[in-house]
Amino acid sequence: MIQKDGIATQEMIDSITPSAERRSKGPVAVVECFQSIPCNPCYTSCPRKAMKELIDINDMPQVNTDICNGCGVCISHCPGLAIFVIDETYGDNQCLIKMPYEFTPLPSEGDYVTATDRGGKPVCRGKVVKVVNTPMQDRTPIIHLVVPKEFSMIVRSLNINDIYDDNTYICRCEELTLGELREYIRKGYTTLDEIKRITRAGMGPCQGRTCRQLIMNEIAKLTGVKPQDQLMSTFRPPVKPVKLGFYAQEDTDNE
Amino acid sequence: MRIEQHPILTFPAGKMVKFTFDGKELYGKEGEPIVAALHANGIKVIGHSHNKHRPRGLYCAIGNCSSCLATVNGEPNVRTCITPLCEGMVVTMQNGKGVIK
Repeated sequence: MIQKDGIATQEMIDSITPSAERRSKGPVAVVECFQSIPCNPCYTSCPRKAMKELIDINDMPQVNTDICNGCGVCISHCPGLAIFVIDETYGDNQCLIKMPYEFTPLPSEGDYVTATDRGGKPVCRGKVVKVVNTPMQDRTPIIHLVVPKEFSMIVRSLNINDIYDDNTYICRCEELTLGELREYIRKGYTTLDEIKRITRAGMGPCQGRTCRQLIMNEIAKLTGVKPQDQLMSTFRPPVKPVKLGFYAQEDTDNE
Repeated sequence: MRIEQHPILTFPAGKMVKFTFDGKELYGKEGEPIVAALHANGIKVIGHSHNKHRPRGLYCAIGNCSSCLATVNGEPNVRTCITPLCEGMVVTMQNGKGVIK
């Protein structure tokens, strides 16, 4: 119930979803405003007059999708943060969603984040391609988020933590998760060797072939020391697993 | 599940040989990686990790990650992705570090 939890029902969403034909043509504004309230900045801000005139200020907005070109000016003008621009032509099976985001910290361009639905539930991994935050936005920054196309009408917010997060296994052999790794780095274990000694990561069957680079990247993220400037752990032979019997055999041959 | 046709790779017709996995009789192409023969028979879990006992199987497929370790003919810790299949092989699931008899 929207009156209770503020989340629009599927029926409501269906009523304002632009046609598949229109969506395939390029960016378009989606106005998810479902309450008769005296408010009209969406109408007054549109430079193309794509918003149907509000005869009564309590009228709910309607977008003329033939005129709307998805410029996104209305996004930051909506006090209810109810306007989004979706662009299903962004890339192969990808969709660009421009959304208002009034939280700190802001994500940065290039960040991978958790794309969430209207209720805040994680949906998929999203990539932030642009953060628009000029005086024009009047402290309602607009995030450009790229998600798979099928989520164009589902993803409506984001959580700045990457969905591949704390429960992701970094070291498969000794089963160290990203959450545990970050905890250790924060505690002060900031070199590969220290992490190895405290967690055993890199000492399992694969000998660090899977996790070494991942751990160094994570240390770089949290401490700012680039992987190439970090201390490497020592590489010792054998490079590949060798049976003990192999060495024993060599010995008897030399006698 | 086997790839029969591929635009670049060719798969020479191999002799089908009999082997067992946990006592179950299976058939695979002679000389293909053991784990490939198991996959073709629909078996994807061939061991469990030593720490949290999570399922293990094919991961890197090039002998790097030691995720596909299994016990072959009584010998534990065999990297099944780079070990060719032979007639009559006895493969058993390896849970944890394996036991050397």
